[in-house]
Amino acid sequence: MWRKAWRVAGAEFSNLVRTKAFIISIVLMPVLMGGAIGLQILLEERVDTKVRRFAVIDKSGAFAAVIEQAAAARKENPPFAPERSDSDVAALSSRVRDGDLFAYLVIGEDALETGQGVTYHSDSPTYMDLSRWLGGVMTHRIQEHARESLGISVEDRRKLNVRARVQAYGLTTVTETGEVKAAEKIDKIATFVIPVAAMWLLFMLVMMAAPMQLNIVLEEKMQRISEVLVSSVSAFELFLGKLLGTVFASWLLSVLYIGGLSVVAQRFGYLDKIPVSLFVLFLPFQLMALLIFGSIFSAIGAACSEIRDAQSLMMPAMLIVMLPMFVWMQVVKEPNSTFSTVVSLIPPATPFLMMLRVGVPPGPPLWELVLGVVGATAFTLFCVWAAGKVFRIGVLSQGQTPSIRKLIGWVFSK
Amino acid sequence: MSAVTLEGVSKRFGAVHAVDALSLEVPRGSIYGFIGPNGSGKTTTLRMILHILLADAGRIEVLGETGTRAANDRIGYLPEERGLYRKMTVQRVLTYYAGLKGVRARDARKESARWLERLNLGDWANKKVETLSKGMSQKVQFIATIVARPELVILDEPFSGLDPVNLEVLREVILELRDNGATVIFSTHDMSKAEELCDFIFMIFKGRKVLDGTLDSIQAQYGADTLRVRVEGGHKLLEGLDGVGSVRDFGRYQELRFAGDPQELLRTLVAKTRVERFELTRPSLHDIFQRIAGPEAEDVA
Repeated sequence: MWRKAWRVAGAEFSNLVRTKAFIISIVLMPVLMGGAIGLQILLEERVDTKVRRFAVIDKSGAFAAVIEQAAAARKENPPFAPERSDSDVAALSSRVRDGDLFAYLVIGEDALETGQGVTYHSDSPTYMDLSRWLGGVMTHRIQEHARESLGISVEDRRKLNVRARVQAYGLTTVTETGEVKAAEKIDKIATFVIPVAAMWLLFMLVMMAAPMQLNIVLEEKMQRISEVLVSSVSAFELFLGKLLGTVFASWLLSVLYIGGLSVVAQRFGYLDKIPVSLFVLFLPFQLMALLIFGSIFSAIGAACSEIRDAQSLMMPAMLIVMLPMFVWMQVVKEPNSTFSTVVSLIPPATPFLMMLRVGVPPGPPLWELVLGVVGATAFTLFCVWAAGKVFRIGVLSQGQTPSIRKLIGWVFSK
Repeated sequence: MSAVTLEGVSKRFGAVHAVDALSLEVPRGSIYGFIGPNGSGKTTTLRMILHILLADAGRIEVLGETGTRAANDRIGYLPEERGLYRKMTVQRVLTYYAGLKGVRARDARKESARWLERLNLGDWANKKVETLSKGMSQKVQFIATIVARPELVILDEPFSGLDPVNLEVLREVILELRDNGATVIFSTHDMSKAEELCDFIFMIFKGRKVLDGTLDSIQAQYGADTLRVRVEGGHKLLEGLDGVGSVRDFGRYQELRFAGDPQELLRTLVAKTRVERFELTRPSLHDIFQRIAGPEAEDVA
């Protein structure tokens, strides 16, 4: 069986790596990374310098001058330019609409005492910088007024405003020689960015390869290539060969991506912060995810005769693929909670979520990792077996797309 | 010795009996024609011989192997609906298909180059399949079928869509394969091609065997009740005469089934018109096919 499956895998690999999509994928990563860095540099250089002119109707008479002083002293871009106004709000709204003003502020009579009755009006609801800045300036003015009326000195006020700053550290460790190693400060990049990036990289690689299986199998079926192939190899050999070819092509991408990212991490001094287990487990988890989802998508492709039918069957499969994406935030926040443990042991999600948990120090207990790997392996084998059965029947069938119930029937047919 | 033996083979698809208790023997080194109307079970039978489909009942022996795919590397299969990778070059497709039969890449390249030259496609070896015309693609598909030097060649409608020149080339190659010892099974709707090429003819109708044997023996079964006649006045003059059954007009002559003494009919015709041709003959395969399949044969004809 394996001789022919390898031959199919070889051809599949060769076809995949020659596709434009694959070549673009290789180029995509550095382009995306380079693009993101380049964009940041570009954005830093090209700051927004357009003056934000706004009107202030100060019914309290306590804030307009302070706002003018603060705006004059402000050095950041874009510049803020206040103007006092007695106009009615309809006229000011009209000026905002015409682009003459960016916004206007209405300050109520007792704002200095209560902080209430302040409204900010603009036609750019998503731009928050100006309203936030105004809030800060006015809060400071209110606090100063309170200090003066209570007779508190500037020094005492500073003392009143002292805040506790809690810094996050890991645990102190004791070496074999009994030496106590001080706890290290928690690094956001090592504890958050790296594991999340690893999970997303895995997800991206799986999503690039597995759904493509559906198109390849469906296309071969529609072009009647499948019938020629199954006269030379068994349907299961064909199915297995296709899966393996996809795995190898995806692994090649992984090696290129991981290699490239490791060079970047080394350059910024983060390579030693990436847990070795992430490197060790990446390819096996990728293999499992590709076999699970690749076999499901292959089976869908084989069962359908039209792209439209395949897309409707694809929906439930996509929901399963997306499961880790719905919960990853919760998992990274509390990687060893009961919820995270349970959800990462659900086989289709295991490769992604266990990868995430492994990346966040101190990682999951070994027994959970072993259980996850065993469960995911068993599920992978089941998927390959079941999808292989569907593929065998589906690849030669023509006409109406079978219902999910019928597909289940195919799985358990002789 | 038989290349293929089927004994009591049946296959059902749900409530449909696609093949029912079918038995046949394909002698080695022969050209064996499968005929039958659409949906009669031809392709299902071919797929069972290839073990693409498994029979529900019965025994299938192919090239000495019973009930396994072990012989598949020695079989070349040309399905009715052609399947080639459009983005691959002709050479790569042929090497890949031969490789699946266990042929080494170097040998496959050599053999495919030989066949491409033979079928006037030598200049197209490194072109992508998508650039080929329909006729060229069909010839490439045919080469893919035989490039691994199979002992048994199964051709499902090999001539469909070919122009007369290529059709003749393919006919020659099929005869050459047989002369070199290969067994050829081919399924066709073209009765004249079956008559012309086949050593044995097998007809399946509604899943059951209805004809099996040499063309001579089949025609003998259906007696000598067929006459080919050309008369002034054409087929209208023949219709309604005593003893004349169906009349088929071939333009230059009419073929009719006649029950009675042909001498009587000849006398009647001579009395009525000028008779240019009067020939006692055996029924054509097409005629036999129509007698068995009746109206369903119209789909095929």
